[in-house]
Amino acid sequence: MAEKRPPRAMGPGNEEFWQGCARGELLIQKCGNCGHRPWPVVQTCEQCGSDKLAFEKVSGNGKLASWCTFERPYYGDLMPVPYDTILVELDEGPWFISNPSGFANTDAELGMPVKVTFLDCEDSHGEFRLPVFERA
Amino acid sequence: MSDAGMTPMPPSLREYSRRASIVGVGETDYHKDYQAERKRAEGYEPPTVDDLCKLAFDRAMADAGLKPGDIDALAMHYTFGGPDPDEMASYLGITPEKAWVNGHIFAGPLPNIVGRIMSGEVKTVAMIFGIGNRSAGRQFGGNTYGAGMAGPSSYYYFHPWGWSSQAAHWAMMAQRYFAKFGKREEDLGHVPMVVRQHASTNDNAIMQKPFTIDEYMASRYIVRPLHLYDICLVNDGAVCLIVTAADRARDMVKVPVDVAGWSESYITQDKFKVMVDERLRPQIQSAGNEALAMAGLSLDDIGQFEGYDVASIHLVNQLEGFGFTPDGTGIDFCIDGQMTLGGRIPTNIAGGNMSDNYMQGWGQVPEIVRQLRGEAGSRQIAGLNASLSAMTQTDCVHPVIYTRGD
Repeated sequence: MAEKRPPRAMGPGNEEFWQGCARGELLIQKCGNCGHRPWPVVQTCEQCGSDKLAFEKVSGNGKLASWCTFERPYYGDLMPVPYDTILVELDEGPWFISNPSGFANTDAELGMPVKVTFLDCEDSHGEFRLPVFERA
Repeated sequence: MSDAGMTPMPPSLREYSRRASIVGVGETDYHKDYQAERKRAEGYEPPTVDDLCKLAFDRAMADAGLKPGDIDALAMHYTFGGPDPDEMASYLGITPEKAWVNGHIFAGPLPNIVGRIMSGEVKTVAMIFGIGNRSAGRQFGGNTYGAGMAGPSSYYYFHPWGWSSQAAHWAMMAQRYFAKFGKREEDLGHVPMVVRQHASTNDNAIMQKPFTIDEYMASRYIVRPLHLYDICLVNDGAVCLIVTAADRARDMVKVPVDVAGWSESYITQDKFKVMVDERLRPQIQSAGNEALAMAGLSLDDIGQFEGYDVASIHLVNQLEGFGFTPDGTGIDFCIDGQMTLGGRIPTNIAGGNMSDNYMQGWGQVPEIVRQLRGEAGSRQIAGLNASLSAMTQTDCVHPVIYTRGD
């Protein structure tokens, strides 16, 4: 049963990211000029300005860098409060906003190893798989 | 590159220091207006942006001792729109040679006006910021902005994870800070508590009633670990600054407050890492040092700091970032009394964004002017000669240094 979520950002680059998620792959752009890995999706490299950007699968492994819990309902019934969000430092560099899976923020520890998993979801654009993180 | 919305400013050159001065300030009735809006008595009508701007202007003109004919330029600043500048001029009863919209938040407009005065384009300028965000029901999170408007580094991008609010940035920073430096919520609570004590001396501050750490801990969370008291206010109001050339300012009734230094610095990449891990330290340091060099001052010369306390933790970031206290010690610095009168650097001494008013950076300037003139009454900082304001957002910092001009 797909979980209902607020809408994804779509448009150039984003479709490719979400198609990767549908296959169970976490894709992050890599700059063909300077090697920088920007996140979220950009049209030109935030480090060197090049448009030679290509999506590459990353390991999905990272460390817990921070976390916070929403106590104020910004999305009404769509995201009933309280709910946990986390910030993951991916092994490849980018810092990734997500949700915890199989653990709660009350158990979170700085630097805790985590790995990506995908949650079946649905938004106004249709069904999709959302990258979330569980203990590694 | 940035969602900061900076008004273009001249470079931070030594020869541009102290070329123009603030000679008048005016603010609206933050406390009274906020109470009225909360109460919403029968027949209540929120003040319009026009009326707020006019009140701030009239007060600034009276403060400066100027007549309508003395103003040759009107620079309007609106974050969520406002009257056409020419119509505003006629509503204010002035006939400036030039009237235009010069930006919105306090990110660059003052150096911009100093530059225009230096070039001779304008002489004596009324700068007005007006905002009606509370009565418009604006909230800084959720679906206020659709995902279709998402920029690459904005919070609107993260809707599917439910991560969407301005406050969540500060919550992520605070949580990492706690874990890294061994601090707790009840430690951080001292920062808004001290700022509230400051506001208790300010009868125009929206929130004046002091609270205890127990009351802080019992207050509701906005985004855990941050409580209601950790987050800035949202209110309607206006600020007017009258600015003229430094030599003309010497002939006016009040002690001129010179614009002595400024700078700006942005996060250009890896926003979440720089924001949550480095807490904008590289940006705050480089901009701070450049502004100080422009003013010909060192940090020790600064006797008042008006930081952008959109959240308690972000005030800590700025105290540490500018170098008032080492990395990781900002909360202890506050607990130790170092950011209040008699401490190392009186900070947000009239109540800041968390207790006085939230005028998107403009609200910091009137208290700096009052303090540098020696008009701050029971909260006056003795022997003050130089003050620092900082508009510090999630991805940029804009410090301005002011000095007493007599």
